[in-house]
Amino acid sequence: MTTASAPTAPATTASTSSRSAGRRYRQALWLLTVRDLRVRYSTSALGYLWSILDPLVMSAIYWFVFTQVFHRGSVGEEPYIVFLLSALLPWMWFTGAVSDSTRAFTKEAKLIRSTTIPRSIWVARVNASKGIEFMLSLPVLAVFAIAAGAHLHWELALYPLAIVLQCALVYGIGLIVAPLVVFFRDLERAVKLVLRFLFYASPIIYGTQALPDRLHDIAALNPLSGIFGLYRSAFFPGQLDWLEVGVSVVVTAVVLAVGLVVFRRSEHRVLKEL
Amino acid sequence: MTATDRTAPSTSVAPVISVRDAGIRFKRNRRASRSFKDLFAGSNRRKRADEFWALRNVSFDVRPGEAIGVVGRNGQGKSTLLKLVAQVMLPDEGRIRVDAGVAPLIEITGGFVGDLTVRDNVYLTAGLHGMSRAEIRDAFDEIIDFAEIGDFVDTPYKHLSSGMKVRIAFAVISRLDEPVILVDEVLAVGDKSFREKCYKRIEELLSGGRTLFFVSHNDKDLRRFCDRGLYLDKGRLQLDDTIEAALARYAADHGA
Repeated sequence: MTTASAPTAPATTASTSSRSAGRRYRQALWLLTVRDLRVRYSTSALGYLWSILDPLVMSAIYWFVFTQVFHRGSVGEEPYIVFLLSALLPWMWFTGAVSDSTRAFTKEAKLIRSTTIPRSIWVARVNASKGIEFMLSLPVLAVFAIAAGAHLHWELALYPLAIVLQCALVYGIGLIVAPLVVFFRDLERAVKLVLRFLFYASPIIYGTQALPDRLHDIAALNPLSGIFGLYRSAFFPGQLDWLEVGVSVVVTAVVLAVGLVVFRRSEHRVLKEL
Repeated sequence: MTATDRTAPSTSVAPVISVRDAGIRFKRNRRASRSFKDLFAGSNRRKRADEFWALRNVSFDVRPGEAIGVVGRNGQGKSTLLKLVAQVMLPDEGRIRVDAGVAPLIEITGGFVGDLTVRDNVYLTAGLHGMSRAEIRDAFDEIIDFAEIGDFVDTPYKHLSSGMKVRIAFAVISRLDEPVILVDEVLAVGDKSFREKCYKRIEELLSGGRTLFFVSHNDKDLRRFCDRGLYLDKGRLQLDDTIEAALARYAADHGA
């Protein structure tokens, strides 16, 4: 049974008596995620290679610039290529999912106009397909870690925590960005600009320890600092800063809460605009 | 077979669709300035200057097994009403309750992806509308047969002709095992023999006890399927009576 009442009805499925709404949500999310991956891999010969080629080329460039051209001194840790990749791969997930969420509604307008699946799926599926791509790219990190002789530490156990945190953060941002882009098309370009800025403002080519003291506290406010620190601590325990992780958890919770409110309040207007 | 052959649903059964004082408004000018303040303002605020009510104060109940035709001129809110019932749009005021699954024949080709094969697309679209993999597997051959595209099962969807695209889409959606069917003039496309086939399918579904919500400009189609008519004009529900009465009122108002 579903009830749609004005003005801020929760997104509920028109579920048949035999199927629960929860099962249908998971089924639809899975179908759309598989569709995304299948379209990507069936339309290009290199398929899977493309999703890892991008971070590989990026790391190769930064590795070359910062170890062969400039001498980075004490910034980052050895082996630098593992240091780079351990944050660059989750960054690809973050930037890919956030920039795709600007088109989450506009790209699928026809499908959204014809099905009743909960609208938050359109945000969740962008996150899921980029997240799965991230998981699939982890073997690359493993290969480089072995080849470069990086050591694993017990902090590897924190990987799931980092993934859950990032999932929540990306979902929260998506819930804010996706509906707002429908009303303010300019936001799409603004998001691209902010992402480019954020790449350098987050500890990817450097670690937060390398920052001067007065920037240290500001960097902690960036939820990505804590998350990337968690990822990195598997190879570089010195990069883990529990204060940053704590701030990151709080900021993520706030972003998610704001996202849920924005999404609920704008949903019926989004449907009219599509 | 005509609509009148079916037994009239008893009035004691609980309604499957219940619409109470539903209203929805749109911006007259899509380019109208939008501020963040506007976005977060409660929607129960007063009507804004650049907005109009596409539908307002619409109330009716639909009992299981009824076949309802919606009549009215272009732009009087017919398709909007259908979308509200399909719950792909949400009302700005009032309440719309649908107590059963809906098979919406609205923008039926919307879910299909050009780069995937017909087979993948059938599994995708049927799955998004709530069918399980096993159910789709059982129905797959029947869907392909109905669409008459047996030779193109593994062809990318984008390479199909536009007629084939509509046929496969109709075959999938009309195969959904949902108690309520919504039809929005999709049948205006396709060749004559396929259109007749679609009509036969709808009649089958109707005789199987489904509830039909039908929007059309074609009097003949409306009389063929529907026994009850809703006449919409100026965003209001002007008449809720038999389909004959609704068509007569429409003809009287607009000299059809």
